[in-house]
Amino acid sequence: MNQSWRQRWPVILTTLLALLLGLSGCAGGAARPVSWMGLTVVGDKMYAADVEQIRVLNASDGETLWSFPENPEENNRGIFYIAPAVGAGRVIVASQITTGGFFSQRLDIVWGLDVETGRELWRFEGASGQYIEGGALSDDTFVIGNGDGNVYALDAESGDLKWNFETGHHVWATPLIVADVVYVGSMDRHLYALNLADGQMRWDFHTRGAFASAPVLRNDTLYVGAFDDTFYAIDAQTGVERWRFESEDWFWGSPAVGDDIVYAADVAGVVYALDAGSGEEVWRKVIEDEAMQDISVRAGPVLSEDGNQLFVGAQVGAQDGALYALDTADGFVLWSKPSEGRVLSTPVVSESLVYEALLYGTHRIRALHVENGREMWTYPDVEEQE
Amino acid sequence: MLDFIIYPFANLLLLLYSVLGHQTVAAIAALTILIRLLILPLTLGQQKSARKMQELQPEIEKLQKKYGNDKERLSQEQMKLWREAGVNPVGGCLPLLIQLPIMIALYRAIIFCVPSTPLELFQFSQHIAIDQWLPGLVGLVPLQSTFLGMDLGQPPSPDQIWSYALPILVFATSWLQQKLLTPSTAPSGGEQSQAAMMNQQMQIMMPLMFGFIALQYATGLSIYFIISNLVSVVQFYLIQSRNGEEKSKTQTRSKKQSDRKSS
Repeated sequence: MNQSWRQRWPVILTTLLALLLGLSGCAGGAARPVSWMGLTVVGDKMYAADVEQIRVLNASDGETLWSFPENPEENNRGIFYIAPAVGAGRVIVASQITTGGFFSQRLDIVWGLDVETGRELWRFEGASGQYIEGGALSDDTFVIGNGDGNVYALDAESGDLKWNFETGHHVWATPLIVADVVYVGSMDRHLYALNLADGQMRWDFHTRGAFASAPVLRNDTLYVGAFDDTFYAIDAQTGVERWRFESEDWFWGSPAVGDDIVYAADVAGVVYALDAGSGEEVWRKVIEDEAMQDISVRAGPVLSEDGNQLFVGAQVGAQDGALYALDTADGFVLWSKPSEGRVLSTPVVSESLVYEALLYGTHRIRALHVENGREMWTYPDVEEQE
Repeated sequence: MLDFIIYPFANLLLLLYSVLGHQTVAAIAALTILIRLLILPLTLGQQKSARKMQELQPEIEKLQKKYGNDKERLSQEQMKLWREAGVNPVGGCLPLLIQLPIMIALYRAIIFCVPSTPLELFQFSQHIAIDQWLPGLVGLVPLQSTFLGMDLGQPPSPDQIWSYALPILVFATSWLQQKLLTPSTAPSGGEQSQAAMMNQQMQIMMPLMFGFIALQYATGLSIYFIISNLVSVVQFYLIQSRNGEEKSKTQTRSKKQSDRKSS
């Protein structure tokens, strides 16, 4: 028996080690990205949630203006993913700090920073889950959903909690604030309309699928897709469905809404142009890769400022990505720009540039010209670093 | 690497979730039991090997007494004995190694369906097949992730202090399973007591290790560990009672034969 155990010990130890490694590989840790970078462009500045830092870049050339924290190795403020909200002299962001050790602990924090310097003004530590998507900012209120199932409304000036609204599951979607109403979708398969002032529910709209993105409002109609392979148009006043469009896969990203057309992309990489009034399909475009690799689309499409182009970011194969510029008239691909790194973040358009964040890429941010996809600048500038 | 097992498990979990009234813990329990049934031949092989090794124990002790000082000879004789008895000394560990990827795949399937990070969910979104076959099951993901106030996709946390009960239960059930499944070694002098000590260490080390894993990873994994351990315990008693019945039948038969001979 002694001999047998001697022979078994290495096998058992290897098994346990492999189990630990295998589970670590799938559970994720601080070193592995668990989400994608959020980008916001306001005026001539880009605000990027660059994992260990919030980085403010000059939108025209990618030069860093300030970052928070300045030195993450010395002053760890956690991992930043959500798109910063900018307004009222504040940049409001959220991060997750994980303390190591035997009883590892997670702390999820919303930070209020000075828009000019990045100096910390306040922090809110009242939520117990992760912040997955960005928040929405009105004049004096910042509203954000959390993995603990709550929607939190904070005073943008002080960071004090104004109210919270509990849903039945994680809230990953960015809220939409219009006048005195907050519209927010939850993984509990409800879209809620709440009073901005006190969080009281006005109505809720129930579907079979989870909501992971913000609705878009146009002419008193909310447009939003869900994980039940269905895209919805809902009366913003009453929460009554106006029409629905069924596809063959989830809608994760927010739609883009033009004058009379709503553009939405499902995760299988099919882009739909739908009549905003009736939901009738105007055209559809299946995004394809020249090398026939699988395409999947997480982020919603974004319109150019003149409304003639539609930008769609995609994951190509397992690790790469591409940005596609489609003609809004018929879905024809005007240009595409492949990238090393997946394009899962929603692209941002400002004037003549379209910005994309790349997951697992050498560059983390790229600015491309809207006309032809020409690369204008990258961050980090690898050549400069070398 | 294990995608070919993970995605079918995840889809099966979705199916069970829809059948069992949208109860995530019930679906995890059902999937665990189902998988344990699938790997039953492996588990039985492991237990059979352990039992045979236990039966050979007196022979091994004799060999140890006989060749105590000649390690090489002792090893040769032991190998010979095992070969003749048709026992592979590491045979009991191989099923454990085969179960390992299954355990990892099951954990990943749980994490995909009760997602804690958007990247995991996005990865899984392209591999949900069950709603293609059964359109009524569309929109199942993400599964209800709260159980007794705990988030099944997150590790135990001080906010829900009771969530630490799960690693304790994982430890307790692993210890019970380990105690039942590890062959007992009669304490005697020298190397034999060393083996007994090793067994004792294993009985504590393995459960501690699993308890530690439960502390660090999503509570959904703890549910799997606990149910899996309990299934092993039940399985052990079922096999024991079956072996007991067989043994008594054999004894009765040989007694009858010897009675007949003597008469």
